Formats: sequence, C-alpha cells, structure tokens
Amino acid sequence: MTLDTLEPVRLNVPTDDVDLFCDDILRYPYEAYARLREKGPVVFLTRHNIFALPRYAPVRTVLEDHETYISGKGVGLSKFGNQSRRGTPIASDPPLHTKRRGLVAERLSLRSVREITPDLQRQADVLVGTVAEQGEFDGVADFSRRFPLMVMADLIGLPQDGREHLLEWADAGFNLFGPPNERVAKSEERFPEVRDYIRSLEQPGRLRPGSMGAAIYEAAARGEIEFDQCGPLIMAYLMAGLDTTINAISAALLLFGRHPDQWDLVRENPRLIAMALNEVIRLESPIQNLRRVVTREHELEGAILEEGVSVLVMFGSANRDESRWQDADRFDVKRNPVGHLAFGMGIHNCAGQTLARAEAASLLEALARRARRIEVGEPEWHLNNVIRGLERLPVRLVA
Amino acid sequence: MATIYVCDREGAERSIQGTDGFSLMETLRAGGFEEILAICGGCASCATCHVYVDAAFLEKLSPMSLDEDDLLDASAHRRPESRLSCQIRVSDALDGLRVTIAPED
Repeated sequence: MTLDTLEPVRLNVPTDDVDLFCDDILRYPYEAYARLREKGPVVFLTRHNIFALPRYAPVRTVLEDHETYISGKGVGLSKFGNQSRRGTPIASDPPLHTKRRGLVAERLSLRSVREITPDLQRQADVLVGTVAEQGEFDGVADFSRRFPLMVMADLIGLPQDGREHLLEWADAGFNLFGPPNERVAKSEERFPEVRDYIRSLEQPGRLRPGSMGAAIYEAAARGEIEFDQCGPLIMAYLMAGLDTTINAISAALLLFGRHPDQWDLVRENPRLIAMALNEVIRLESPIQNLRRVVTREHELEGAILEEGVSVLVMFGSANRDESRWQDADRFDVKRNPVGHLAFGMGIHNCAGQTLARAEAASLLEALARRARRIEVGEPEWHLNNVIRGLERLPVRLVA
Repeated sequence: MATIYVCDREGAERSIQGTDGFSLMETLRAGGFEEILAICGGCASCATCHVYVDAAFLEKLSPMSLDEDDLLDASAHRRPESRLSCQIRVSDALDGLRVTIAPED
C-alpha cells in the first residue's frame, strides 16, 4: 500500500487532477470526458475542488432537483464571476428565479417566436444569399456571428452604437463562469466597459420602445424589479442569446460539412432540421459545464455529498455518454436525441431555446434550399471557459 | 409498472409499459411512437408532445404549469383534456391510462 491511496474520508469517489479549463482540454475535451465517465458517476476534481458529474443520469438528477442542488450560490467557479451574476435567473433560486425569469418569458414564448419567425426566415435568406455569392467565406465571422447578434440586439432594442463590442463582452462574460484562470483575469478587465455600457442604457430613449429591454425598465418603474438590476438582467439575456446560438450554428456548419451524407438527408427532408439541430448541440453542446451547490447531505450514485459542496454539471459529457446514447460520438440527424441536455433541463432550462431553434432552423432551411454541399476546411476552436465553439471555419457552398 | 393505452394519429390503439420516474413523453418514444417529436427534449418548451388524456385520469396528474398552459394555447388543436406528455410523470397510479396523440400543429 502506498501513501497515494490515503485520501480524506469524504472522498469515497474516484479523483482526477485534470484541469478542464486549460487550452488543450477546451480544444479537445472529449477524451478527458470519456476518461471521467469511465472512472465513475461522481469524480472529485482535485484542481477545481468540485464533484464532477460526467455521466448522463446524475446530471439529469441534479438538473431536475433544484432544491437539493441550488444555483443561488453561483453557477460558475470564480467568486468574481458569481458576484457579477447575482440576481440573474441563471444564478438564482425560486421564488426570485421565478419572478426574474417571468419578466421576459412571454417575449421568448413559442407564440412570440412564431410571430417573428417569418422575419427571421427572410433575414436568414438574405444572409445565406450573400455568403452563397461570396463563394468562400468564414463560417464564423461572416455567418454564424452575424445572425444572432442582429436578432438579439433588435429584440432587446439596443441602440446601433456600441453593438460592435457586444460579442467581445459576451465572450468575456462567459469566461467568467470558469475557475480563476488567465481567461477569467482578462475578462474581469472588461468589466468596467460593460458596466459603463449598461449605465448608458438607463438614459431614456436609448432602448427601442416596445422592446424586451424597454419592458424590463418598465417593470422596474412598476416596482417589480429593482432599478439597478435592469442592466445586468438585460446583459444576461443578451449574452445568453449570443455565443450559445452562434456556436450551435457554427457546429452545424462543421458537422454538415464533415458529413455530407447527413446533409443529403436534411436536404431531401427539411422536416428533419429541427431534430438535426438537437443532434448538433448534443454533440457540440454550446455550454459545457456549470456548477450547483448542494443544500443537504445525501448520497448521489454512491457518493456522499455534504451540505455546501459543489458539483459540476457536465452537459457536454452527459450528451456523449455511451450508456445513454448508442454510438454516442456519431452524428446522426435521424437520431432525434430526445432528452439531450444541451439546453439544460428543469427550471433553469434555456429560456430562449425556442428563439434559438427558430434562428438556427431559419439558417439551415435557407442553406438547404441553396447549397448542395457545404465544404469546410480545418476549424480553429475559440477557447472560452464554458462555451464550446469555433473561432474560424473556412466554408465553401456548392450550389 | 403501469400499462398505458395509446391511440396514435392513425387511430390505432396499443398498450405500452411505463417505467416509474420517466416522463410519459419518454415512455411513448421508447414505445415506438415516433410521431411524438418532443423537439425541445422534454422541458415544456415546444408543444410537439401534445396528447389528449382520458378525462378519468386528468385529476391524477400533476397540475399544469403556466409554461405548459401557454404552449398548449399556441396549439390549434387544444382541448380541455390536452397535456404535454413530457410534463406527465409515469407512476403506478397511472395504470390503465388512455392517451391519444394530438394532431400535428
């Protein structure tokens, strides 16, 4: 017996010293995820001081039990990041969560999204037309980053000036979900700019009347939310609607480019697009990992979790768990991966998923009408602490 | 284990076995009812798992959330016995349940 086998009593689970937020893992995370899944349903990550949940079943258990696993103590791994998100829906528990999320629920509902879908389809058609004429283009800068930025900024009612910084700020905001690392430090530096921008929105007339942003300030005028919470809430919704959707669209380009047989299936039957998008984000889940805090001592899959410990909800790993998905790494647009966790599950499931689906589907439908083939070159991954996505993707559409 | 009788869109009825803890939507899909698309994956966000529940069982189901109510409102095929099957948790209490898959929107 060696000393290595001596561990604190509470660690009745396997451990791993992986840094899930280092460059190499962010670029190619799936081998590390597979190793963690192999080790067990609950694996203590020594570097992050957190109980990781790499398999499907426990992730789902945690997401569906918001009383045992709370968000209000922060869903990120750094103190600064958690403080910066205080009071936003993603980082709060009922009853506050219910109130905050309710403020915009109607605008993100199926009914509201159906109203704007014809507009989205028109705009998608214009964008696809533009890149189709270009022939070769960057699937990220020229395509996937364009659309959600326009849709979200218009929906929230943001002024034209300042929009050029929104993507950088959203990227910084998502980095702040990570543990204290260099990416977090750099993102903290952007915070004053974002704060100034938020303050600028408070001046009357800055947000388009009738927009979602204006509605949040109107709720403050009625006393439903504190005035100083409006800006952070607006930024939270903006962020939530950018990199997530953007990277889902990038991933769709990459996967359909690499699997022309699957693109053929979608072109033959565009009704598959909704399911295919689920399959895209099952394989390349835009949000990879978030934290929850345990409120009472209990056992989860044989692991004793004490009150106050943190668990890491591994969406991207759960979505590739072989015990849940047959041939989990294969891209199969006919799979219809019901139960995938890319949009989360339970009360914190993605509030904007109907809109995200409508955006991505509008683009794919337009592409399916115009492009027989999507040819892609070597992708360059964009490294962010929690967002999985591309920095660059050479694309050529073949009519 | 609960036995659930399902009438599909063609009007054919057959029974499936439900497993405790799973949603009715998952049970229907596992039972081969592919017309239950469940595009949102089961979190009450899309209304593509819409079913009509036998009136005798409506009371035994957990109450409808505002989200579910709103989604059903967006369906052209809503009836008083409409529910989203992803929001129904299968248990032995539902043994003998009859559901009909609602037309596609």
